[in-house]
Amino acid sequence: MTRFRMVVPIVALALMLTACPAGNTSTTQNPSTSASSGSGVSGATIEVTSLWGGAEATAFQAVLDAFTAKTGVKVTYTPVRQDYSTVLSNRIEQQQPPDVAIIPGIGFLRSFAKDNKLIALSELGIDDAALHSAYLPNLADMGTAVGAVNGTAYAVMVKLNSKSTIWYDPSRFTANNWQTPTDWPGLVALTNQIKTAGKTPWGLGASDSWTLTDWFESIYLRNSGEAAYDKLFSKDGDWADQSVKDAIKMMQDLLTNDNVAGGLDGALATAFVDGIGLVFGKNPTAEMYYEGGFVGGIATGDVNTALKVGQTIDFFDFPEINGSGAKITIGGDVMAALTKNPGVAEFMQYLASGEAGKVWVKGATIISPMNGVTGTDYPDSTKKEATQIVNSDLARFDGSDLLPGGPDLGAVLQQALQNPSGVDQSLTDFQTQVTDAWNS
Amino acid sequence: MTAFEPALKPPPRNIGERLVRMTQKAPIHVALVAIALIWLLPTIGLLITSIRPRNEIQASGWWTVFAGHLDFTISNYQQVLAQGNMLSAFFNSVSIVVPSTILPLILSSMAAFAFAWIRFPGRDLLFLTVIGMLLIPAQMTFIPLSRLVGQMHLGGSFIPIWLVHTAFALPFGIFLLRNFFITLPKDLIEAARIDGAGNVDIFRRIVVPLSVPALASLGIFQFLWTWNDLLMALVFAPRQGQPMTVQITTLLGTYASEWYILAAASFLVMVVPLAVFFSLQRYFVQGLLAGSVK
Amino acid sequence: MTDATATAGALERPRHATPDQGGWSWTASLFLAPAILLLAVFLLYPTISTIILSFEKGIDNYVRLFTRDPNFLTLRSFPPSGAFWNNILWVVFYTSGCVLFGLVIAVMAARVRYEALVKAIVFLPQAIAATALGVIWRFMYFPNPSTGALNAGLGVFGIDPIAWLGSPSFVNASLIVAGIWGSVGFATVILSAALKGISTEILEAARVDGARETQIFWRILVPMLSLPISVVAVTLIINVVKLFDLIFVMTRGGPGVSSRTIAFTMYQEALASRNFSYGAAVAVVMLVVLLPVMVFNVRRFRAERVVQ
Repeated sequence: MTRFRMVVPIVALALMLTACPAGNTSTTQNPSTSASSGSGVSGATIEVTSLWGGAEATAFQAVLDAFTAKTGVKVTYTPVRQDYSTVLSNRIEQQQPPDVAIIPGIGFLRSFAKDNKLIALSELGIDDAALHSAYLPNLADMGTAVGAVNGTAYAVMVKLNSKSTIWYDPSRFTANNWQTPTDWPGLVALTNQIKTAGKTPWGLGASDSWTLTDWFESIYLRNSGEAAYDKLFSKDGDWADQSVKDAIKMMQDLLTNDNVAGGLDGALATAFVDGIGLVFGKNPTAEMYYEGGFVGGIATGDVNTALKVGQTIDFFDFPEINGSGAKITIGGDVMAALTKNPGVAEFMQYLASGEAGKVWVKGATIISPMNGVTGTDYPDSTKKEATQIVNSDLARFDGSDLLPGGPDLGAVLQQALQNPSGVDQSLTDFQTQVTDAWNS
Repeated sequence: MTAFEPALKPPPRNIGERLVRMTQKAPIHVALVAIALIWLLPTIGLLITSIRPRNEIQASGWWTVFAGHLDFTISNYQQVLAQGNMLSAFFNSVSIVVPSTILPLILSSMAAFAFAWIRFPGRDLLFLTVIGMLLIPAQMTFIPLSRLVGQMHLGGSFIPIWLVHTAFALPFGIFLLRNFFITLPKDLIEAARIDGAGNVDIFRRIVVPLSVPALASLGIFQFLWTWNDLLMALVFAPRQGQPMTVQITTLLGTYASEWYILAAASFLVMVVPLAVFFSLQRYFVQGLLAGSVK
Repeated sequence: MTDATATAGALERPRHATPDQGGWSWTASLFLAPAILLLAVFLLYPTISTIILSFEKGIDNYVRLFTRDPNFLTLRSFPPSGAFWNNILWVVFYTSGCVLFGLVIAVMAARVRYEALVKAIVFLPQAIAATALGVIWRFMYFPNPSTGALNAGLGVFGIDPIAWLGSPSFVNASLIVAGIWGSVGFATVILSAALKGISTEILEAARVDGARETQIFWRILVPMLSLPISVVAVTLIINVVKLFDLIFVMTRGGPGVSSRTIAFTMYQEALASRNFSYGAAVAVVMLVVLLPVMVFNVRRFRAERVVQ
């Protein structure tokens, strides 16, 4: 009896204590209050969200600090490490959108643009020509294309990583007298050579199925060319086409049960990072690992801190196929504005400049697509990757990020490796789903 | 009188009888110890992992410590505590969880009382409708609720997360408490009514005090669920008010490769629920459905 | 509406002698109003708006789900596959596993002095967040025997490592085991409490008549505990159909689509991929799937009334 009487005041007290700070923050963050702060943007505060945590967040924070020093606009960085799309969608509905969001997939960008949630770049003082010339020349066409939805530019590609790097341990290659290949037959021969030497050629971390979509995209771009690539990942793509089956066949022939550490089932239970451990951990069980330029940082930072770049970890370029030349696939993030609050336009313009890029690349986590950032701006650990991208003839954006959300190319590829006879059926099914997703 | 209290049997008269009893129960002891080990091992594995150096975590399993592979560090914990602003996240967790536990307790006990002891037309249908709401998956409601939060200008405060947690706790809470309340002695309540006590008095003076074990059970469950919640907090908590579960995810890079941080942080999040659980577990022994108060 | 109430009401004998109980009493609304208001706004309204959203394109979303989405359900092979089928596996094996283990542990623990400790240990996983649960079990399931505990154990007996989460034939079983491990404590605690309510005399009488312990378990305890068992089972079924986070942290529905469930598909479509209307259809299917459970609940509720 007395017990219950006590509960009510306790609740009331708890509600008051906790509600107060929340109430305060909500009023200070309300966009409408900061919007009325006159013409000078100095003193304004904007909020930026992205997926990055850990070292990536630290590197990005340096860019934000440089921007604040330059303009006086404060930037709050909110990392959303999980359920990013969910959080973003809901914050928009709650009328609490971040001012600027860094968006990892173009499918999402299109979806937000379609719902009129994004501010076009032209309204923020960045016209199409300025955007095009902000990028490195060999990336400019791709950069402008991925940021546009139905001909309107919404997003700036702010960072990228190569996805054409195959990682290996030079000391072990030297000891076994293995040579890094330059073309596909060379890669196949090297794989067989390693197997003959009693070692397992490939580490594969494919429970994260995007590692397989990266394999597919790298092969498809080189084997079928950029015109076919662009078509496949557009609304007109034909997934039942022979060229798709050819690329999958090449994957199946290289990534066999015997060629990957732990067998295919094991590889499909191994996460991307644990796959790095198969090659670069203390007790390695495989010799090569294909994934993006970011593998180096993760391997030396998290997997095995004893690694030495250039001596015990290095990469060679994903080999040419049929004389395809220096074509690379890249993965990147684009940045779009959700409000026109003071400081947002300045921020977008700043991030679309080599000036920001130079600060950012110092953190050794990204490659900047911006014109004006040169090889000498990079620290040693990312210099080689930057050089590969700058010197490439042509770059293409990660295709699976261009597809609309829903259909899972990675799952199709996992099935293709585990059950080769089912490929035709699953590609037909996938085509149906992709068509539905493009039309919805 | 209860069925299985070993204490109910008379104490063994001699060593022989004691031995007989022990051998009779030997299979039970073996089975229970095995079960306890199976249920503890994965968690012990996590604990050991959390105090191992990061290179070791990638290279060998946690059980190698039992083979003399003793190489421990507290730096994983130091890193979590230093980087993450964990203290304020801890207080955010408390700010979310305390009202989100107490509010549903109050509201569902009130509603459960009405369903159990007040007659009104449509009572059964309403009760079944409420129970039917157990089926509603939380994820389905996010977008419509967010729209509502936006229209009511509640975004950025703790109020949405409290109300959402509370609302989703109500069907289970009402279900559980109503089932408990109907087992309370009818004579007691009718006697009180004859003495002229109103429903409010009966609720406060009889039903709630007699239902402390059930309320405690519900409270602990609700506490654990809201403390461990990640998704609701991500969506409905203010961004300066994100709890520990969310804060930990921000320590990780894009590929969540930092096992050493994950292991240590996971353990830190567990500390409070474990403490609450072990200090209040006698209520579980009294039981959720131990309705026969005599 | 009146039909159901009338039936249930007719079955019930009057409980209270006080005369004012027949009509709507203002105290009832006082006690109910806050809860009902919250439920209406936060649960009912979003549900209705989801149902409406799912029919945005007529019934096309449903047609697509059952005919053009092999990840959801495909009957091409036997056993069938897809998220829908996986959910059936979960409901059957997870629920029966939890109830059976929970009951056996409760019965055994009741006969030893360290009952509270055993129950606390088994209940422990309830205190663990899904993220941590995922971490814990991935350390158990790693395919590499030098870091995966289970495969290291198999290695002792000379058995080759198994890719618990990488092989389509093992992944659902492995996840269900992790799920059972996490939820048995819930079943144990409730069933143990119910067990305390059974009178000793019945059991002693059975023992005197020479009944074996297994017979006592199946012929006396299980029938006598049928009500709490059904409460636990219904709660577990409802939770497991809504289960999403364990799968999300451990396999993301993979390998391929082998471990997807309805709730995972709903999340994937409605929130992660922003296909709101299609995801809404998945959610509605989920509600429909759970309806039989509710029908069962209603029946039990009425039966309970007859007994009273």
